[in-house]
Amino acid sequence: MLKNVLIANRGEIACRIIRTLRRLGIASTAVYHFADRGAPHVTAADHAIELTADVPTAAYLDVAQLLAAAQAAGADAIHPGYGFLAENAGFAAAVEAAGLVFIGPQPEVIRLMGDKIISREFAVSQGVPVAPSCKQEGALEDFVAGATAIGFPLLIKAAAGGGGKGMSIVRSAEELPAKAATASSEALRYFADGRVYAERYVERPRHIEVQVFGDGQGHVVHLFERECSVQRRFQKIIEESPAPNLPVALRDRICASAVQLAAAAKYRNAGTVEFILAPDGEFYFLEMNTRLQVEHPVTECVTGLDLVELQVRVAGGEAFTLQQADITQTGHAFECRVCAEQPEHDFRPATGRVMTLREPVGEGLRFDGGLREGLAVTAAFDSMLAKLIAYGENRAESAARMRDALNELVLLGVDHNVDYLGRIFTHPAFLAGELHTGFVVEHAPALTAAPLHTDERAAVLIAAILGTDEFRRLAYDCPEPHASIGHWRN
Amino acid sequence: MPSTLTLDGDTSTLDIIGRRPQLQVRVGDATYTVEELPASDDGASTLLINGQPYTVWRTREGDRIHLKLDERTFSVGYQEAVVAAAQSGNAGNEVRAEMPGMVVDVMATANAEVAAGDPLLVIESMKMQITIAAPRAGVIETLHVERNSSFQKGALLVSLHALAE
Repeated sequence: MLKNVLIANRGEIACRIIRTLRRLGIASTAVYHFADRGAPHVTAADHAIELTADVPTAAYLDVAQLLAAAQAAGADAIHPGYGFLAENAGFAAAVEAAGLVFIGPQPEVIRLMGDKIISREFAVSQGVPVAPSCKQEGALEDFVAGATAIGFPLLIKAAAGGGGKGMSIVRSAEELPAKAATASSEALRYFADGRVYAERYVERPRHIEVQVFGDGQGHVVHLFERECSVQRRFQKIIEESPAPNLPVALRDRICASAVQLAAAAKYRNAGTVEFILAPDGEFYFLEMNTRLQVEHPVTECVTGLDLVELQVRVAGGEAFTLQQADITQTGHAFECRVCAEQPEHDFRPATGRVMTLREPVGEGLRFDGGLREGLAVTAAFDSMLAKLIAYGENRAESAARMRDALNELVLLGVDHNVDYLGRIFTHPAFLAGELHTGFVVEHAPALTAAPLHTDERAAVLIAAILGTDEFRRLAYDCPEPHASIGHWRN
Repeated sequence: MPSTLTLDGDTSTLDIIGRRPQLQVRVGDATYTVEELPASDDGASTLLINGQPYTVWRTREGDRIHLKLDERTFSVGYQEAVVAAAQSGNAGNEVRAEMPGMVVDVMATANAEVAAGDPLLVIESMKMQITIAAPRAGVIETLHVERNSSFQKGALLVSLHALAE
């Protein structure tokens, strides 16, 4: 068993890791930048070491300082959390070279999965489905023939490009030659490379991912799937397990593919295999995340397993004996990411200060936060403030609990998406599980806050003005004739 | 004197028009009876507005009041009436700009009678919207700006003269 774990992270995930370490009787060491002094992850840990950097995020990315902090604290392992250095193979290797345990996969596996092209080829070699694609090698006519073989609709784009330049959707064989020629000339213009690339275009795709866990020797189990289709700006905001409206046979095939991929890589510790699921039931490997995911709590709810505990035990040398048959999926869990942002302004990140915080409590609720009243929310870090997790016997019960919990959550002082999330949890399409990655855009009008009618608006203003001493003095303290003169007396 | 509040970019004035037996507040053209119930242990208070109960969480941070009213979260801009008055120049007849900015809204009209604290203009300076209130009762003599005019610090925005006796 490990004795002292340094957490190379901050915020809610650092707090969450510390919680499990404490339960297991393992000492925790936090690191922090000056901007995070007094933050909950710093005060919750047994030890805390300040890192120096001009830019706050740079402190959490400074490998040399992190290793020095681990030595100074007497830590025997480092947990990277997610983000920052969690998927940096060089960091994992440096941790091991320093004689410490890296709580995560082998550096070479991080490297393999971190490269989009190599990981895709690896998936193909293991028989894991990837979206059919074809790259122009020679003449445009040969490309057209190859692309036609993939089937329609197709997405064609510049082989060298990005940012949507030279990209178009082709729905039939008739329009392919002309669109390929246009894409090629645009590609030439923008990237000085006229070669084009085509792949199967999935309309209304769902994002389904599978939690896996391995012992590093080839024994891998899955902890079932998560649905992460509700996204804004290509980032997840609501996740759930199990995925709604997903036939069991299809779910089993997706999970089996994930296990196959991870086992072939002799994957060690916790990881997630992400897939795109098409409406026709075809699914394609997207990428593998070689770390603990933000949304791991929904898996913990439905499996009853503590993923951080599993991570720490396996990293500490305990045999990983959990068998697939031992793992069950019971009930239904949702997670909402509470972010400092303005949903009404294209989800622009917001800053401010946490002035009032009341975390919802109740049966089936979990609030993973790194917040306290008085904490400044700055642009220095990610806009995710906390995660609210609700668990119930079934999807309807879990959704009802989440809706109540969102109503109960009070967070004042910084703009956030809690009201917006609440509206999603009342939307009929969401409640029916009709999800795809364009959900937020498709239902944008219905998810906009209803305008206040006159009396509602007056209630808001009256409630607000009663929060000022000046108004209260005028309203309650002054004797009648005096008060009627008001403030202005000459 | 009325208080001026800004919500979602729109400015409203609130005025106390009665205190007994219950507080009566005028918002725009409508009047509301307001009763506050004692706050609960967790910090929420209950407000009865025309008899309808609302649960309120509230915190003030400078010129902003953040609140959750039942299930919705709001941020309301507020400027203390006396501050608004003091900022507009001690002469009382001249309303001058404390900071460079732009006129977002004009409530004042030339030759109109105003009471002290009546909102005259909404300006935007340093990305904040600020309501400029009448420093004293009087008549608007000249509006020196219009909507979307920009101005420098110290610029004369509105001139007032005293009410005829």
